[in-house]
Amino acid sequence: MKGNDLVICRCEEITRADIEEVISQGVTRMNEVKRLTRAGMGLCQGKTCGRLVAGILARETGQSLQELKPSTSRPPTRVLTLGVLAGSKPDND
Amino acid sequence: MGKTEIAVVGGGAAGMTAAIESARAGAQVTIIDENEQPGGQLFKQIHKFFGSGVHRAGTRGVQIGRDLLREAEEAGVQTRLNTVVYGIFPDKRLGLICGDHTEELASEIIILATGANENALSFPGWTLPGVMGAGATQTLININRVLPGRRILMVGAGNVGLIVSYQLLQAGADVIAVIEGLSYIGGYGVHASKIRRAGVPILTGFTVLRAEGKESVERAVIAQVDEKWQPISGSEEVLEVETICLAVGLSPLSELAWMAGCRFSFLPALGGWVPAHDENMQCNLPGIYVAGDLAGIEEASTAMEEGRLAGLAAAESLGYLPPEEGRKRKEELRNRLAALRIGSFGEGRATAKKKLMRAMCEK
Amino acid sequence: MRIEDHPILGKVERGRKITLKVDGEPVMAFEGETIAAALIASGQRVFRYTEKRVEPRGVFCALGRCTDCVMTVDGQPNVRTCVTPARDGMIIQMQGTPDQRETALDAGEGEG
Repeated sequence: MKGNDLVICRCEEITRADIEEVISQGVTRMNEVKRLTRAGMGLCQGKTCGRLVAGILARETGQSLQELKPSTSRPPTRVLTLGVLAGSKPDND
Repeated sequence: MGKTEIAVVGGGAAGMTAAIESARAGAQVTIIDENEQPGGQLFKQIHKFFGSGVHRAGTRGVQIGRDLLREAEEAGVQTRLNTVVYGIFPDKRLGLICGDHTEELASEIIILATGANENALSFPGWTLPGVMGAGATQTLININRVLPGRRILMVGAGNVGLIVSYQLLQAGADVIAVIEGLSYIGGYGVHASKIRRAGVPILTGFTVLRAEGKESVERAVIAQVDEKWQPISGSEEVLEVETICLAVGLSPLSELAWMAGCRFSFLPALGGWVPAHDENMQCNLPGIYVAGDLAGIEEASTAMEEGRLAGLAAAESLGYLPPEEGRKRKEELRNRLAALRIGSFGEGRATAKKKLMRAMCEK
Repeated sequence: MRIEDHPILGKVERGRKITLKVDGEPVMAFEGETIAAALIASGQRVFRYTEKRVEPRGVFCALGRCTDCVMTVDGQPNVRTCVTPARDGMIIQMQGTPDQRETALDAGEGEG
């Protein structure tokens, strides 16, 4: 397995090459990497790959880790099925 | 919609002490934990803790976990187990996933004690079965009582790497080597000596190049690195191992704090991005507190004291403590925390915590 | 490999013996332990194959966070085996195996 072929986002199987590709196209922010590559959008929601992606961005763009805030955190923190959401208790307690 | 006075997210060391403290003061407290039972990482800690007598020195984490569970029950703390907080909404509402449906929980105060996640180290072959976090290994051997493999390579010589290596030896595994990329051992000398005496070499200035194997790990290739972390050609060694444990640090599990809008600071000494808090553990959002590894990677002892401080401050803000008593007890807890942040390891964390609290006053 | 005796934790107290069906084969487990623990104890290390690259995955975080250990349990896919207790008679299947793909392709589903 060549270096570039290295899987970074384990859930979505996004490789370092995939991430470096969008960076070479001008992407500099965590949110953009996530949106364009899907890295961090899988079942674990970026828990495993977040820091790794930040490290790659820092190295490739010269930004410090301090300048790279994690991508925006929106609900849900876990992947939910529509069924679970639909099964919400009625708000009449 | 459910209601509680103080919602504690996370039932580990910090969450439990926060809940116990505030419930004892008279508040209605609910712990929400995603696991089957609370305790966080305490039940994996079969070694004896350091610190002074008041910090439960000489006691194993497992026993502390049992004691806290009993104290929480006695204090009347409510628990929502197997429950995930999937969102935190304006006016301190929490969205909960309970099995097959969702619920909302309204509260006056939220204490976030969500702990930390193990960092990953990527290298060719790191996705092969057999590569796992050191904490994962600890869960398997100390809680599940199974060995993930017989021959182990430990990557990282911080406290976690050294302690888990020792626990692997106790569990009957063969730790072939502990490797550390830095030129020095990051963990306490006493831990390093113990495993060296047991015949485990600790190699500093080494990194793992790749893991090899058809369907799972069969070999690890390690190499020496120079000051720029580049492998030195000719220094490669092949280790016949089935398991590669990654002990390369922890990061706070902070999604809910980000979602709520807490102010953060980047502090490597505390694990990276950490939510800022004041001397009462309250963040920039009124009524939201943080405690434990979420507020900076430290130890179980600091997690428990921070939990107590947050719980006490929260109960006081709701009127459950006379101000003079509250002031005295909070001061005592701050002194105990300061006593835990000493020495070559503690000083770095103490400085970072001061920076974190100063960040509250900025802007 | 199970750890039977331990210098600190002592002799293991386990629940009653139960049987799981893993891809058609019986696997012994103890009531109360996680599915992942039972599989690792039985020597199984590969828990699934990935969607895109068809690569083997097993237990990585053991805490229910990374989702690498997911399997289909009693018909429900993506169950995190490292935090799910084993129950007698559970039917467990690996996801994404090469022959599952062949069957899908033969039936005219999947890529194409």
